[in-house]
Amino acid sequence: MSVRKFHPANRLGAMIKQKGGMLVQNAIAAAEAGVESLREASLKSLDDTLTEMEARFGLKADRSDAAFEDLYALCLRIVDVAGFASETGVDKAIMSFCNLVDNCAEAGTWRWDSVDVHLDALRLLRSVGAQLPPADRANMLEGLYRVSGFRPGES
Amino acid sequence: MGDVLQPSTRINLEKAVVLVLDDNGASLDILSQVVSGFGVKQLYRAESVKDAQALVKTKTFDLVISDVQMPEVDGVEFIQWLRREASEPNRYIPVILVTGHTRKPDVLRIRDAGANFTVAKPITPKVLLERIYWVAREERAFIECPTFVGPDRRFKHEGPPPGTDGRRRDDLPAEVGDAQEPNMSQEEINNLMRPAKVQVS
Repeated sequence: MSVRKFHPANRLGAMIKQKGGMLVQNAIAAAEAGVESLREASLKSLDDTLTEMEARFGLKADRSDAAFEDLYALCLRIVDVAGFASETGVDKAIMSFCNLVDNCAEAGTWRWDSVDVHLDALRLLRSVGAQLPPADRANMLEGLYRVSGFRPGES
Repeated sequence: MGDVLQPSTRINLEKAVVLVLDDNGASLDILSQVVSGFGVKQLYRAESVKDAQALVKTKTFDLVISDVQMPEVDGVEFIQWLRREASEPNRYIPVILVTGHTRKPDVLRIRDAGANFTVAKPITPKVLLERIYWVAREERAFIECPTFVGPDRRFKHEGPPPGTDGRRRDDLPAEVGDAQEPNMSQEEINNLMRPAKVQVS
């Protein structure tokens, strides 16, 4: 098997060192300010997606032909904006939900009780997660992890 | 790689041409805001691999930041296309993949996609800038072979254990060389640990 090993020109490396530009602390502050301007729209997107999840995959939905990929895609849509709700625990709960749906897809069978637990937890955390005592929030997340088999730090 | 990015370090990305690719508009907005905050003036956005490929065919980029999970064609397939079929110099540009949650079957696909780094969502400006700084200072060789195209996946050079497949000529030897100086005497070791009186004024 032929292997070519070489060092292509790194134009980014050359330009990042050029005179001018900005301090790292200012770059991060500017980026954070820009992201903050998206908070309201992002949280609306999170809420809309959660509502869609409940409508299509919740207890009252017709789940007879539910597709793993559809729910997984909705989970990822929440992950994308979950950084804005990190004080509630939604960012962690949604990773647990991703893991659960991935496990269901791999096994080819739904675990609806576990799906319902995650949907309820997401709704609760989104509503009052920030006001919960940290220990209670941690216990709640730990319970979700046990249901989904999620190991924080591994995904 | 792995250098800590200091707040007082100066960076210049004003002339960098950057492509960000994400099928979720909200996520694309976040990525775009972060990259713009870093001082990038020429930022191109794509919401599908098809759009991204069209841009890569007509413009020269300095950095690509791409989501992994996308419908139809995903970020892994895009990077594989970029590394194998795009024209130079775009074929060799630094790539950072961002992923919300990595499914089990995707772990090896992402590793072998040919990206320089993978970053977990939700994105934070600090982490993304650190990775951009790392790829700008990339020292790994670029590898082209029938099964992989991209920066060397190895960061270290120990290689697999001797006697197993996959060792390279430039991997470090397993044997540790002879000591170059005599061992310390017991007295010298004791002296290192002996309590000493100190004067407190």
